[in-house]
Amino acid sequence: MYFEAELKGRKYKVDVTEHRLSWKISLQEEGKDWVHHDISKNDYKLAEQYVSFLFQGKSYLIDVVGSDTEYNVFTRNSFRSIKIFNDEMLLHESLKKGGAFGGDMELKSGMPGKIIEIFVKEGDIVKANKPLLIMEAMKMENEMRATRDVKIKEIKVKQGDAVETGAVLIKFEEP
Amino acid sequence: MAFFKKILIANRGEIAIRITRACRELGIGSVAVFSDADRDSLHVFLADEAYHIGPSPSKESYLNYKKVIEVAKLSGADAIHPGYGFLSENTTFARACVEAGITFIGPTVENIEAMGDKISAKALMKKAGVPTVPGSDGGVETVEAAVAVAEKIGLPVIIKASAGGGGKGMRIVRKMDELESAFRACRSEGQNYFADPTVYIEKFINDPKHIEIQVFGDKHGNHVHLFERECSVQRRNQKIIEESPSPSVPPEVRMKMGEVSVKAAKQINYVGAGTIEFIFDNKTKEFYFMEMNTRLQVEHPITEIVTGVDLVREQIAVAAGKPLSFKQEDIKQKGHAIEARICAEDPVTYKPSPGVIRACRHPQGPFMRVDSYAYPGYNVPIFYDPMIAKLITWGDTREEAINRMQRALTEFVLTGIKTNIVLHKTILDHPTFRDGTYTTQFIEKNFEVIEPQLFKDIEDPVFLIAAAITAYNDRKSKDVRQLNVSSTWRRVGRKLQLRT
Repeated sequence: MYFEAELKGRKYKVDVTEHRLSWKISLQEEGKDWVHHDISKNDYKLAEQYVSFLFQGKSYLIDVVGSDTEYNVFTRNSFRSIKIFNDEMLLHESLKKGGAFGGDMELKSGMPGKIIEIFVKEGDIVKANKPLLIMEAMKMENEMRATRDVKIKEIKVKQGDAVETGAVLIKFEEP
Repeated sequence: MAFFKKILIANRGEIAIRITRACRELGIGSVAVFSDADRDSLHVFLADEAYHIGPSPSKESYLNYKKVIEVAKLSGADAIHPGYGFLSENTTFARACVEAGITFIGPTVENIEAMGDKISAKALMKKAGVPTVPGSDGGVETVEAAVAVAEKIGLPVIIKASAGGGGKGMRIVRKMDELESAFRACRSEGQNYFADPTVYIEKFINDPKHIEIQVFGDKHGNHVHLFERECSVQRRNQKIIEESPSPSVPPEVRMKMGEVSVKAAKQINYVGAGTIEFIFDNKTKEFYFMEMNTRLQVEHPITEIVTGVDLVREQIAVAAGKPLSFKQEDIKQKGHAIEARICAEDPVTYKPSPGVIRACRHPQGPFMRVDSYAYPGYNVPIFYDPMIAKLITWGDTREEAINRMQRALTEFVLTGIKTNIVLHKTILDHPTFRDGTYTTQFIEKNFEVIEPQLFKDIEDPVFLIAAAITAYNDRKSKDVRQLNVSSTWRRVGRKLQLRT
């Protein structure tokens, strides 16, 4: 199975073949040669709730969280995010990129939380660095500010709303 | 004869579990309370009894003191332990307990009143001869007044909610144009979390250490201290690593801080566990009173480890009217203890990261302690503090304790949510932490860019291979599912083909 992957801005081509007792995984970082890894299934085993991965003489406990195109690989007390696309998704992703705006056209929530106060209303023109709203998560209030001069096109939330990570809070347009 | 029959624990998470453990060891029944979001919290599972007290927001559950007292009566509890935060320093609650004939395990209402309001506490300490920091010496009502105070004492200043604590309702202002929004945020946080918008302003002492003294009093007029804890490793004005003893306090200053603290406790006839926090200037070794916390502290375990005193047991005994089980001369600091607060948060931005814990394996082994409420499958709620576990290690020397903590952190598996474990590991390896000269600005100064230090020993293929195998399995299982829903005719046909 062929994939394209992205890790910390670096692009890789990935090929995965499953055999009865092993995985054959080939990786090619953009501009470099293919590297082939033969991984015995005995070296990549599910144990407790995570995978024990013995790789090049080192022992890792690994948990992979995610689905579709976004995976977080947890090991040794932290994780890295990896984007994985198969051909079809790659196409979809590149189409999306073509139609995107230049600057930030919306304010998104970086974490789950509650809207405490909104300082702006639709139609307002807001200067850079002026507060837009206050969001609360885990007892901390976070003031979210405009990163540049914008006009408020639409406010998608109201005071007291609970929002999830990535929710669009305010949509902007050019002032 | 047990001190009490049954104790209601008006708290949640790890501290509720800590108190449940003390109850069980003393043969006292334990009653947990929980909000909507906490039905699956470990403190509910571990207590003898558990009662629902309301919706998820703290204001409607853990801060609903009438409901808490109602449940205490219903369950037949004869005492309430408030833990830290929530109702622990709430005089209305403490008074309501007394009126309901239930023992409040904590200081007297007068103690909380005297020290709970930071403005009056400071005035009281100043009068008693304890060194204090210059500031507004009272509440500040308007932005204009705040500007005037800041201009008088000079920047940087710190704005604090008078009723605040635990790093909530507190902002440092380094530039005048930040003052207005900081002032507004503090008042709003004060109103929202402590039901009091009053704020005061103090000179922000540059690059200080945070050192605190654990004190204890009983109802018979005995007062002792259990030495210091250094809590200078802070992010967002909240402690994340604490140690005892402090590497910066010379023996004669330690004695003096202890003596002053006992004097302060005696002055207000303090009962129970309390902590006197000082701002410590490492250059001059001078210390100034900051505030007194009239409750058990998050970081109490390190004191327990180096002194051998079970502080929660002592709190319960003192509340039952017993005299302190030890005298000042019995208290010795043995070896060195460190605590790391494990939080569900991004290690780089410090933004909370609630969500479902997947794998969870706590460290084990010699000379350490884990106070945690994390377990696999637990959904860390968005409503409360992001701290999910405390790791505490002991060593004969400071170095041994630090190395043991590094080991314990490495062993800690916690996946599915972001945690600050890597931040802790990076801090413990930092030369400024290792040599003990770190101050409260340590993280701000040194950890703007910690990302490059994460995973420095792990090569990309480890991550890529794991992700690729998972992505492969996901897609394969989708194909299998599609195969399974295909028609019986096709399946029979395929079987027939295989036979020939």
